[in-house]
Amino acid sequence: MSSDKGDVTTTDSAEEPDEVQAATPVKGGGGGRKNVVATLFRFQSLFGLALVFIAGVIFSPNVNGELIFLGVNNLFDIVRSVSEIGILAVGMTLVILIGGIDLSVGSMLGFSSVVVAVLLVNENWGVGPAVVVVLILGLAFGALQGALVASFGIQAFIVTLAGMQVARGLARITSGGQGVQISYGNDDPSKAPEVFSLIGERTFNGVVPISTLIFAAVAALAIMALRVTSFSRHVYAIGGNEKAARLSGVPVMRVKIIVFAICGLCAALAGIVHAGYLNFGGPNDGTMFELKAIAAVVIGGTSLMGGRGTVLGTVAGALLVGMLENILGLNNIKSDWQSIIIGLVIVLAAGLQRIRPASVSS
Amino acid sequence: MDDDVSPLVEMTSISKSYGGVQACRDIDFTVRAGEVHALLGENGAGKSTLMKVLSGEVVDHQGEIFIEGARIRFNRPIDAQRAGIAMIHQELDLVPALSIAENIFLGKELKTRAGTVDKRRMIRQTGELLERTGVALDPRRLVEELRTGEQQLVTIAKALSLDARVLIMDEPTSALSSHEVEQLFEVISELRASGVGMVYISHRMEEIGRVADRATVLRNGSVVAEFDARELTAAQASEAMVGRPVQTLFHTSTAATGDEVLVVNDLHVHPKHPSPGRRDPNGITLSVRAGEIVGLAGLLGAGRTELLETLYGIGSPGSWSGEVSLRGKRIRPRGARRALRMGMAFVPEDRRIAGLALEHSVLANTVLSIVDRLAVAGAVPRGRERDAAQRSVEELGVKLGSINDPVGSLSGGNQQKVVLGRGMLTDPVLLLLDEPTRGVDVGAKAEIYRLLGEAAKRGVGVLFASSELAELVGVCDRVIVLRDGRSVRELNTSEVGEADLLAASMGEGMVVDALANGEANGGEVA
Ligand SMILES: Nc1ncnc2c1ncn2[C@@H]1O[C@H](COP(=O)(O)OP(=O)(O)OP(=O)(O)O)[C@@H](O)[C@H]1O
Ligand SMILES: [Mg+2]
Repeated sequence: MSSDKGDVTTTDSAEEPDEVQAATPVKGGGGGRKNVVATLFRFQSLFGLALVFIAGVIFSPNVNGELIFLGVNNLFDIVRSVSEIGILAVGMTLVILIGGIDLSVGSMLGFSSVVVAVLLVNENWGVGPAVVVVLILGLAFGALQGALVASFGIQAFIVTLAGMQVARGLARITSGGQGVQISYGNDDPSKAPEVFSLIGERTFNGVVPISTLIFAAVAALAIMALRVTSFSRHVYAIGGNEKAARLSGVPVMRVKIIVFAICGLCAALAGIVHAGYLNFGGPNDGTMFELKAIAAVVIGGTSLMGGRGTVLGTVAGALLVGMLENILGLNNIKSDWQSIIIGLVIVLAAGLQRIRPASVSS
Repeated sequence: MDDDVSPLVEMTSISKSYGGVQACRDIDFTVRAGEVHALLGENGAGKSTLMKVLSGEVVDHQGEIFIEGARIRFNRPIDAQRAGIAMIHQELDLVPALSIAENIFLGKELKTRAGTVDKRRMIRQTGELLERTGVALDPRRLVEELRTGEQQLVTIAKALSLDARVLIMDEPTSALSSHEVEQLFEVISELRASGVGMVYISHRMEEIGRVADRATVLRNGSVVAEFDARELTAAQASEAMVGRPVQTLFHTSTAATGDEVLVVNDLHVHPKHPSPGRRDPNGITLSVRAGEIVGLAGLLGAGRTELLETLYGIGSPGSWSGEVSLRGKRIRPRGARRALRMGMAFVPEDRRIAGLALEHSVLANTVLSIVDRLAVAGAVPRGRERDAAQRSVEELGVKLGSINDPVGSLSGGNQQKVVLGRGMLTDPVLLLLDEPTRGVDVGAKAEIYRLLGEAAKRGVGVLFASSELAELVGVCDRVIVLRDGRSVRELNTSEVGEADLLAASMGEGMVVDALANGEANGGEVA
């Protein structure tokens, strides 16, 4: 949980003034440096993002004196490319905050993209009902996984490993193993309503991708919710010390189920965005996305042990990976090398977490 | 002492600060062979920090350490161990998933000639060590199954296994009842006779005069007094530590004429999965009136914790017989959340395992039980949350820099106050306290007793389990003695003293001894 900085509240019941002195952090000098270090660690992914941005500027190819990297289109390509992973990663952050993990989100994305495509194209559903049904499916799938984790005490890793297989299988069955192409036409019943194609478009003079706006909205909502709600206090408490949380009256089981449900919901939404962007429901799409989402969360500074981390960090983590891929791509570095470099970044981020001083609260 | 022999341990000008907090300030400290040197000080005075410097856990300190006159610098705990220094930690540092024997020989496993781990020898030696500390525990049992006091004995056995020349004991008795404490004191005298130098830290003042030869008092990280500690009374020790006389005994007026808040009638729990270490209620009868503080006494394993857990709805799953009523309504709480709603609050015995998220702020930990109630439409108003935490922290006199500090950075006693504060904030009608003053300094204990007294005055019923007899006699109106999960006696503290309590806790055989000393009285509960 974030704290307002510079707000040093001094509390001391002792009467002797010298005791007050000992208990109060010394201001200035050492205290100041400590604050800088604390801030650096707390927002490590934002600083990382800034560094990568600077690297992007430095290494950007130059056409007619213009840096391609800084071109408006290129920058929005980056935020577009991270939209689906970003949405997944927001849900993943919650799960990881309670000390869990969700490996099913990539398959769930594929399944959702297939279901929405089938409903729109083959079943002639309207966009509203189709989207709602897919979101509910995601929510229910997540809640089921959460219930297995919470009530039977099966490890989240195992439950969601199974869920990953199940969702992938469902995606293939639903689609008959073939991708479902979405074509648009409001009057043709075998085509999807045209509004759905909006997801793939860009607004504000064709600059800002709609899918990015969806991601931004999800992230903003999550950031707000994790700041202010009592639910978020429960989430952090469970990750911090589950037993203590339970004894303090936190409804541990309910919170876990809700968290997994939200993660499933995010996966379904990401699947819808994916289908809308590609105009395609792909049963094999989203493979490995769960790992990319986890990577974004880890780079964003959230502890895999739970109890510590922020959605803002995750957003920065997702952007950092997207930006890095973009820079490497602009410089014609092959994707093999891209994945090696991203692997190193993950290790670096995790390493920074290890040396993070204990006094830096999340 | 002859001055030409250099002391076993000499620490000079030790300073250490954590961020802005100066934990140790220019401290000189010595330990001589064959003496017990008590280290006194309030919570957060720097006792543990100083000892962690000596045991090689805190290495970024100023000042120097000499062992038998030779200057030495530790870079890791193992360096200190090699120099013959062992430490019993205040916070139990065992691996829960390993057995007792595996914990004791962790990192120094005995090998057979074939090079495999020699389990049999480890188990036998562990048995012998445990015997010295006075408990008959099966060395193969997992540490996570043990109660806190038993874990403490294992920690002691682990330190003894090192055959150290210098033994640091940081609150070794905080979870022990008198019987085990006596046993430990015997071990200490043996070690003293064999020339081991010891440091003894405790917040149980009556122990100091009994066990220590010399005492040093720390206040805010500095040495403020050093004196001969033999025959020191509890009151003298407290006064030396706090700097003024402390009233440690608070007899809350027995104006407890309120209604019965809690009635337990012949409660038996038949656990679904019986486990050897647990002593579930097996015939408990007691009552707590509004405004009354009722103590729970008993030896280690008498079933105090299990009783409190059962009442709070977190005991062993299984069937019940007998009845429990809260404010006249028969209840069977299932789960902490419901118990809290009914108006109970529980302070668990081990704050690090069951009480606190150590990495989280004091604020987050303090308000955790009431965030639901504070929330308006699901959102917790920052100001109200902060005010509640601030109020709690001030009322209990928690010593900290800011409520945003991680609670793990507070001293042990102050951590305990945070847990207590969380329970108090829920505004309970019944407070269930399991060793609420464990590791809390005398001044703060007095504060806590005062707070309990005030809560009682407001009509809260308090059920107070403690292994410190002085505290039970001083604070409670009545004390229920448990043995083997049964309530065997009820003593009125205005009529009886610690000796009677001890006798009643020990049971028949021991009562005879106590009677011989002409001390036991008090009526048997029907
Ligand atoms: N790891 C840490 N990080 C930050 N501050 C710390 C840390 N450990 C101790 N402190 C601070 O150093 C001071 C001394 O703490 P220490 O644990 O040595 O006290 P103590 O005398 O052992 O108290 P207690 O009787 O409660 O165990 C306290 O103000 C405490 O908050
Ligand atoms: Mg200490």
